[in-house]
This record gives sequence, structure tokens and C-alpha cells, in this order.
Amino acid sequence: MKFIHVLNFVLMSFAIRQTVVGQTYSGVVVDSDNQPLIGASVQALGSGQGTITNVLGAFSIQTEKGTRLVVSFIGFDSDTIIIENNDSIRVLLKQSSTTLGEVVVKSESTFIDELEPIHNEILLESELQKAACCNLSESFETTASVDVTFSDAVSGSKVIRMLGLDGRYVQISRESIPLVRGLSSRYGLGYIPGTWIQTIDVGKGAGSVVNGYESMTGQINLEFKKPENSEQLYLNGYVNSFGRAELNANHATDLKNNWSMAILAHVDQFNNEIDRNDDGFVDLPKSRQINFFNKFKYDGEHIKSQIGIQLMRDEKAGGQKGFGFGDDHESSSMYGFSNRTTQVEVFGKTGLLFPQKPYQGWGFIYSGSIRDIEAGFGRNGYEGSQQTVYLNAIYQNIIGNTFHQYKTGASLLYDRFEEVFADSSFNRNEVVPGAFWEYAYLPGDAFTLVAGMRLDQHNLYGTYFTPRIHARWQASNSTTVRVAAGRGYRTPNAIAENVRFLVSARELRIDEKLEPEVSWNMGGSIVSGLRLGERTLQIVGDYFYTTFEQQMVVDQDASSSQINIYNLEGDSYAHSLQLEASMALSDYWNVKGAYKYYDVTTTLNNELRQVPYVAKNRFFLNASYNTKYDKWQADGTLQWVGKKRLPDTSDKPVELRRGSFSPDYVLFNAQVSRGFRWGSIYLGAENLFDFRQSDPIIDAENPFGSEFDGSIVWGPVPGRVVYAGFRYKVKRK
Amino acid sequence: MRRELLLTIMCFLSLVAMAQKKEAQQVAIQTSAICEMCKEKIEYELTFAKGIKFVELDLDSKIVTVEFNQKKTSAHDIRKRITQIGYHADSLRRDPEGYEKLPFCCKDGGHDH
Repeated sequence: MKFIHVLNFVLMSFAIRQTVVGQTYSGVVVDSDNQPLIGASVQALGSGQGTITNVLGAFSIQTEKGTRLVVSFIGFDSDTIIIENNDSIRVLLKQSSTTLGEVVVKSESTFIDELEPIHNEILLESELQKAACCNLSESFETTASVDVTFSDAVSGSKVIRMLGLDGRYVQISRESIPLVRGLSSRYGLGYIPGTWIQTIDVGKGAGSVVNGYESMTGQINLEFKKPENSEQLYLNGYVNSFGRAELNANHATDLKNNWSMAILAHVDQFNNEIDRNDDGFVDLPKSRQINFFNKFKYDGEHIKSQIGIQLMRDEKAGGQKGFGFGDDHESSSMYGFSNRTTQVEVFGKTGLLFPQKPYQGWGFIYSGSIRDIEAGFGRNGYEGSQQTVYLNAIYQNIIGNTFHQYKTGASLLYDRFEEVFADSSFNRNEVVPGAFWEYAYLPGDAFTLVAGMRLDQHNLYGTYFTPRIHARWQASNSTTVRVAAGRGYRTPNAIAENVRFLVSARELRIDEKLEPEVSWNMGGSIVSGLRLGERTLQIVGDYFYTTFEQQMVVDQDASSSQINIYNLEGDSYAHSLQLEASMALSDYWNVKGAYKYYDVTTTLNNELRQVPYVAKNRFFLNASYNTKYDKWQADGTLQWVGKKRLPDTSDKPVELRRGSFSPDYVLFNAQVSRGFRWGSIYLGAENLFDFRQSDPIIDAENPFGSEFDGSIVWGPVPGRVVYAGFRYKVKRK
Repeated sequence: MRRELLLTIMCFLSLVAMAQKKEAQQVAIQTSAICEMCKEKIEYELTFAKGIKFVELDLDSKIVTVEFNQKKTSAHDIRKRITQIGYHADSLRRDPEGYEKLPFCCKDGGHDH
């Protein structure tokens, strides 16, 4: 019966829309029970056209024959279809991705959300699987927007940069709950196993005020595997040529009375000592981690709720060869590095819905976490602890009609930091109540305006006023323009965010009164599709400018025996330009190329200087090959990284100096995977050309001498690594 | 450096080429598929069946084209596999057990409301 209605609607809308200029294609989106999906997003790739299905699951879209439509809906696998004829389109979406035995249509692994006013790049699970190792820091290997680099020569940890600026200016969250902040902002990416992640949403520029004031250059939001639709069982094993082994096990199941549950578990271990550059220091620390995540979800008609817990313990031991887990820094004759982090987080979300008024609702987000860090760098010990409570209440409704929507609410952030390094201690309690209001003007598919502001009262630093504005305009069928501007704040953590400099003999000099960092970010993007015969070439260009009112300046240049951390006096800014082109060459081949330009400048010692370790120019090239139903997948990513300015070492003895610039270099990663009904196996390599920075540590022979420095790291320290693994999946019943 | 780069790309390409080497036999089979979901079901099942290289079902003609390795499977095995999924394959009748498991829209009359 329902089907007749749907059919009638489709036929009717088809008949009516046919008279409009251009070609209109209509269709319906249903689930596997043939029920219409309401509010599913339908986007024409490359053309910038997008729409949402109505209450009958029907949509119509003005586009051309041969266009690829990406159809997506929360909790379902996205699907891409090609418009081949004038027939009504029927799109069937399936719950949960790539489950065993289920029929899964090949879908785009990354796309830019056409309807969002914020420039958002969405990485689906299929994209994340292209770089199978290991945690969140590797998840961006096939994406041009986020740069991943090694933080130092000893800890083996990787850090990200966005818009040319340090990763600490990016707000990282899991399902809108802030994560990887404060003391974990350096190693925290390593605490999120890659196989737990379902999608990553990378937003450039200032984010929505609803999520706080901390997104200064961008936001990265993660969606973990979900209790309601993930595989019943997912096992993943991974080994690499260094000897690192990893095991991941995910389980999700339905419980009684609308409840469902997911358990995600991860262990890894790396016990070998690899020193390919023969400096006596291991290139990667030994490490072991145990990580557990459990989430329950209630899915009712009026209430949706979830609650969960994460427990994690990670240990690293590195430095000179022979230094092991639990060795004492004081008594050891070796220069050791160790870090032990334990964290517990309890979190939840509750949404109150009004089924008759889908635009109205209440949302409550809450999270509490405890984190303890014990670390050592040579003879120096570090202890840190952070306790955080985060509460956010959001109400959304419309003003008159759905053209005018708003979100408003209040939040509370509590952070308690205690840090002890060598002989000095740093303690801080932050209590920040805040309120926000965000208005969205949505007159149609072609234009969206979102303007928001928030006021926060910081117990230590006074009032924070955070205005943000985003606009999206669909200039033509094939072109979408976005602009954004906004302010952001964050409290710096002088030691935790600069641990790389602790691996050196440098004297740490920190300004006693570090101010919160304050930035303005503005910029925009153009997404355009160019028809080339049968296919569309998608071109994305974006430019962002970030300028700091206040910043924690890290000055490595004043003296090679010091690290000076002080408040900005003068200008500090970053220009970031990215041009990206991507295209499907055939049904099997996709290529993507990008060029990035960064000009990151700050005032060091009253002098405007280029920020060290940032390459002005970068190229990125990715090619991927997929056969039907992902039976075969192959992927290669080539990156060229231009020269980077290095900090001044001219006051060191001649033989221990480093150049003013690093050489440019090329990295190549590749992976092949073979799909089966039960899952897949994969084989891949990172840094296949085996490019390494040969001399990452200055004066490695005298780690307790005055010239020792392991912080001048601009390239990969470990070289080529080959890995293999499997994924075994059992479909949800 | 450049030589290494070329070599790697060649290795990469040859791996890919191996995956789609076409020494295969081809067969076209008339099926009773009626919708997009049937097409997916048949294509998916055959893609991961032993010895099969490539599958494409044309919904207008309901003909599925299959490339396969003669040493590992045969046209008869493929027809039989299609009947097990729940569809007729040329002169072979569908297997009632497979047909029962098909979603509603893929069954007889699933599309005439």
C-alpha cells in the first residue's frame, strides 16, 4: 500500500519537475525491509547539488545523466549510483557497513558533505582501511587535509597539523565529546585504535559554537563503531616487519527493550629494539597497550540515550638500547625514555525527541575522565594528572518555520591539571561555565547561513566571547562556495604540549604567566565539478587565514641550549592554501592529487620568522583501484614534502650543527587487500622508499652532555615497514 | 631515487594487473533477476564464488556475464550456483530453498502492486 503512495509521489514529482529547466531525476530511498528512509541525504557528486528525502523517502534532483549520486543516511552504508536513464531511481541502503554475506554496493570512501555550511570532508570506513595501521594518527595517510609528522626522535609518536598549524588547535571529539586535549594532546592520537573508528569528519576552519570555543583551526569528529548497527563480531590481527603485533576485537549486539551494546577491545605489543641509524637510540620505543571501550545505547521513540566507558593503559620504553619497561631513570646508566598513561572515561548522551516535531529536541552530553601520566626523559621525571568533567545541554527548535532554526544551550567545563617536571610543579583548576546560541537560516538547498556566538566565564582568564559565522552558497549546479570566520580559545599546557623538547639538554624556560591562546580564523572553499566526457573531475580549493591575538610561543631559536616558552608579543599568522583534484578514471580507478601551500609566521624574540618544521610546499597523490564488492583493492599514496626551516644551531660546535633547512623528501605508502565473504586480508607498506632522517639526535654519544638534542626532527625516523593483517567479520543477525 | 620510484609504481601496477588478468573463459546466462537488489545479490554471491573473475548482470536483458577460470569452475557450476541463490539460470530451475530466503521484493510479483 505504502509502495503505491511512494510510486505515485515519484511519478507525480517526476511529471511536475520535468517542466523545470534542466533534467530532473527522481527516486526513492528505502531500507532492506522496503521501508522509506526519511531525511536521507542525496548528493550529486561534483555538481554541488544536494537534497534530502521527504516523508515518503522520495527525492528529486536536478542534474545530468551520468552523474554519480551519493546517498547517505545515519546508521546506513552510503551508496553511490550513476544516473543512467530517465527511470525513477530506487536506492536501497543497508544498515551497517561491509557486513559479511550482505550485499554491499561500492561506495565513495571520501566525500565532501554538500549540504553542510562548514567545509567537511568525511572519511568512511573503507577509506580508513586503506591505511590499515594502527591508530588515529595513521588514519589521515590517504587524506590531504591533515598532515601527520613524527614529534621527536625518541617517543615514536606522531602528531597532526592542520592549516599549517600545530594539532593542538584542532578540536578532536568522539561523537561531539571532546577528546585528545590537555595532557593527552601529544600522545592521545595513539590511544584511539583505527579499527574502532567508523567515520571521521574533518572540518576546516572554526567550528560550530555548540561544541565549545576550542576549535581554532578545525574539528575532527570521530564516530566509533555503533552498538545498533556494527558487526556482531569483528576480529582484526596485524603484524609488521618491525615486530609490532596488534589484535582488535569488536562485538555489537541487540539487547532487550530497545537497548543495544558494543564492546571494542584492543591490545598491541612491540618489544624489539630497532636502531637502523646506529646512534645507540632505538628508532621506535617498545610499547604495549590495552584499551577497552563499552557502550550501551537505548533507542526509544521519545528518548535516545547512550552511556559508555573507556579504559586505557599505554606504556612506552625507549631511548638508548637496553632501556626497558619499568627501568629506573635515576639509577640507569642509559638515557631512557618512558611514558605510562592510564585513563578512564565515563561518558553519555541523552536526546529527547518530539516525533511530531522532528526539528525540536533536547540533547545532553556528559563526560568525566581521569588521566595519569608518569614519564621520564633521561634523568628527568615527569608526572601529570588531569581530571575533566564536561557537560553540554543543547535545545533546538525553529522560529516560525523550518527556514529559521536555532540551537541554544549551556555548558560546563572543569579541568584540574597537576604537573611536576624536574623540580617545578604546575597546578591549575579551570572552571568554565558557558552559554551559546546558534541560528541557521535555510531558505532552500541553494543557500545556508549559520551564525553563532558563545560566552564563557573562565575562572582564571575572564570572559571568552566566541562569535562564529558560516555560509554556504550553491553558485551553480556544479559549484558550491563556502565561507567561514570565527574566534577560538584554548589554555596551553607548557610541558605536556612540548614534551618533544624534553628529549634534549635544553634548559626549559617557561613564562610564569602564560595567557590563553586566542585566534581568529577566516577562509573559504570552492568545490566544483567539471564534466569530462562520461566522468566528473572534482576540484576543491580552499584558503584559510589564522591570526593570533595571543599564543604560546615556543622559541627554539634564541639559543640551542634553551627552549623558551612565552606569550606572543607581535604578530603570528598562518596562510594555508590547498588545491585538490580528484576523478574516477574508470569504474575501478580513482585518482586524487593535491597541492598545499603554508606560510606560517610568528614573532620569535621580536623578529617575524617562519615557524620551524613546517614545509611551505607539499604535493600529495593518491591512486586507488577497487573491483566490484571490494574483492580486490589496491591503494598507493605518494607525498612530496618540501624543505622545512630548522631551528638555529649556529651556537653549537661546528660538527654538531644542523643546516638552516631540511632537505625535501618523498614518502610512498601502498596497500593491497583481497576481500572474501568473511572479511579480508591485506598486505601493505609504509614509507616504501625507506626515506629516513639519518641524524635525528644531536650528540647521541653524550646523552647527558650539554649538546644532546633529540628534538630537531623533521622527517621519519624509522624507515620502511611492511605489514599484513586480516579482518574477520560476522554479520549482525 | 627516481629508479626506485618507478620500480615501486611498476610493482604496484603489476600487482593490480595480476588481480584482473584476463585468461578467463566467458559465459552469458539468462537469469530471472527482476530488480536492483537481485542484481546485487547475484553479483555479490558469484563474485566471491570459487574461480570467478568478473560478474556483470544487465537488468534489462536479465543476462549475467561471468568470466571464470576453467580449471576451478565451469559454466554448469555457475548456473547451479545461481539456482541455489534462488533464480532460474538458462534452462535450470531455481532452488526452492534459496528462493524462500530471498527478500520480498525479489520474489515473484514483488514489484507488481
